[in-house]
Amino acid sequence: MFDQMLAVAWRVLRQLARDRRFLGLSLFVPLLITYMLYVFFEGVKNPFVKPREFILPMGAFMVHFITYLLCTIVLVRERTAHTLARMFVNGYTRGSVIGGYMLSYSLLATLQTLIVLVALYGLFKLDYDWQTLLAIYGVTWLLAVISIALGILVSNFARNEGQIFPFVPLVTLPSLFFSGLIVPVSSLPQWMGALAYIAPLYYATEAIRGLTGQKGDVSQWAGLLIYGAIVFVLATFTLREQE
Amino acid sequence: MDNAVQVAGLVKRYGKLEALKNIHLRIAPGEIFGLVGANGAGKSTLIQILVGALRYDQGQVSVLGFEPLKQARLLRRDLGYMPQSPALYEDLSSRENIRFFGRAHRLPDLEKRLDEVLDFMQLRDRQNEPVHTFSGGMKQRVSLACTLIHRPKLLLLDEATAGVDPKLREAFWAHFHELAAQGVTILFSTHQMDEALHCSRVAVMRQGVVLACDTPRNLLMRGRAQVKIWRGDTVLDERLDDYPRTLPLLLQQHGLDPAVSRIEVIEETLEDVVLNLINAGEDSHV
Repeated sequence: MFDQMLAVAWRVLRQLARDRRFLGLSLFVPLLITYMLYVFFEGVKNPFVKPREFILPMGAFMVHFITYLLCTIVLVRERTAHTLARMFVNGYTRGSVIGGYMLSYSLLATLQTLIVLVALYGLFKLDYDWQTLLAIYGVTWLLAVISIALGILVSNFARNEGQIFPFVPLVTLPSLFFSGLIVPVSSLPQWMGALAYIAPLYYATEAIRGLTGQKGDVSQWAGLLIYGAIVFVLATFTLREQE
Repeated sequence: MDNAVQVAGLVKRYGKLEALKNIHLRIAPGEIFGLVGANGAGKSTLIQILVGALRYDQGQVSVLGFEPLKQARLLRRDLGYMPQSPALYEDLSSRENIRFFGRAHRLPDLEKRLDEVLDFMQLRDRQNEPVHTFSGGMKQRVSLACTLIHRPKLLLLDEATAGVDPKLREAFWAHFHELAAQGVTILFSTHQMDEALHCSRVAVMRQGVVLACDTPRNLLMRGRAQVKIWRGDTVLDERLDDYPRTLPLLLQQHGLDPAVSRIEVIEETLEDVVLNLINAGEDSHV
């Protein structure tokens, strides 16, 4: 399966390299949004709003949103172009297809995460030590990789590009609502607070806040990892070889 | 394995629509078998079931001795499937597309086979150009090359020659006959009746039903012939079923009458025969 996975990853990377506009936009858009985030917080001269509490989780949300969306669209395009069916008939396995996509899009996510964090670091003049920055990078990168698996999982339930759109707010908005970014999860009713566990951004926000000395829980990176493993397994089992 | 493909009592439903209705088929190894019918006849559905890409509701299906849904991994090593749409990565070159589908089979001599198949498909000159710059016919060639790269024992070709120019189409058929001579079984779906003549047997399908399954010659024999006999100033115009047998009876009525100055026999083509079968099927379903 490993050589098949490498074949899928290599093919996806070749496609990304050929589609320079897609690649350029995928890397430029996070940078642009990061700058807009900076402009927004610069404009808000409210002493009760502390940008440092928001900017790193917001950066993680950006990477999560863009990676999830791109991966969902690309996978659905594979289905509508019948190349996914052709891959299976040629003997590619579900694991190799998902693994190949995870591998190739992880490289893109690595770059996106790097761009967003470097931009945040420069624009907001963050002064964390390099170990903290590396740990933040690790958590954000993990969230990006999990977003790829989430994109694959969601794409398994869409038959065409049009059907993706209802899934976009369905995944990203609750992820934001229950992440603790807007209101602390502890202030939500108990049953609603439980929904935070299905939002990957919750684990990332908790871990990042813990790392940056705010009220958070560093150990939630492990929760993110477990969440990712569950999504990966679900994505593998819901990817249909037969219609 | 007696038959390369064996289908019994196959039923496929899409909701309330019965796309395949009690299909029975047997295809021998090395046979070139044609599926003929209009759009919506069920040809593509049948092929997708045979390659294990589509679930079915009832019946037994055996392809190269394997059940396509439960033994897909084993089956797909020896199966070549060309879908109706090109199903290629448009950003990649033809060589990259073929290599990608070939890599699924872990071929040790992949690059050598790539050269061979690119030469055969006359794609070598443009092997490094992205597929989106190709015409429809060229994309079909790339798609077929992707199907042939691992030298499968069974080829399932869904409208493989659509959009291919006549010269290349002849080259395709020459190659298919070569493959069949080597024992490769070919199942070919088409709208084009002239292509059905290349097949050893043909199944005529309409709305999920096999109306007839026979050799092209035997199907032609089902056709009628229009016979015109000029005798003096009169012309006798008859339509005969099974004309190889009924024509002598008709001519016997005229003996060797010197007044018979001309006899013209116009046979129905395979296309006419198939259309008649389809129309008869429609009439019977009204």
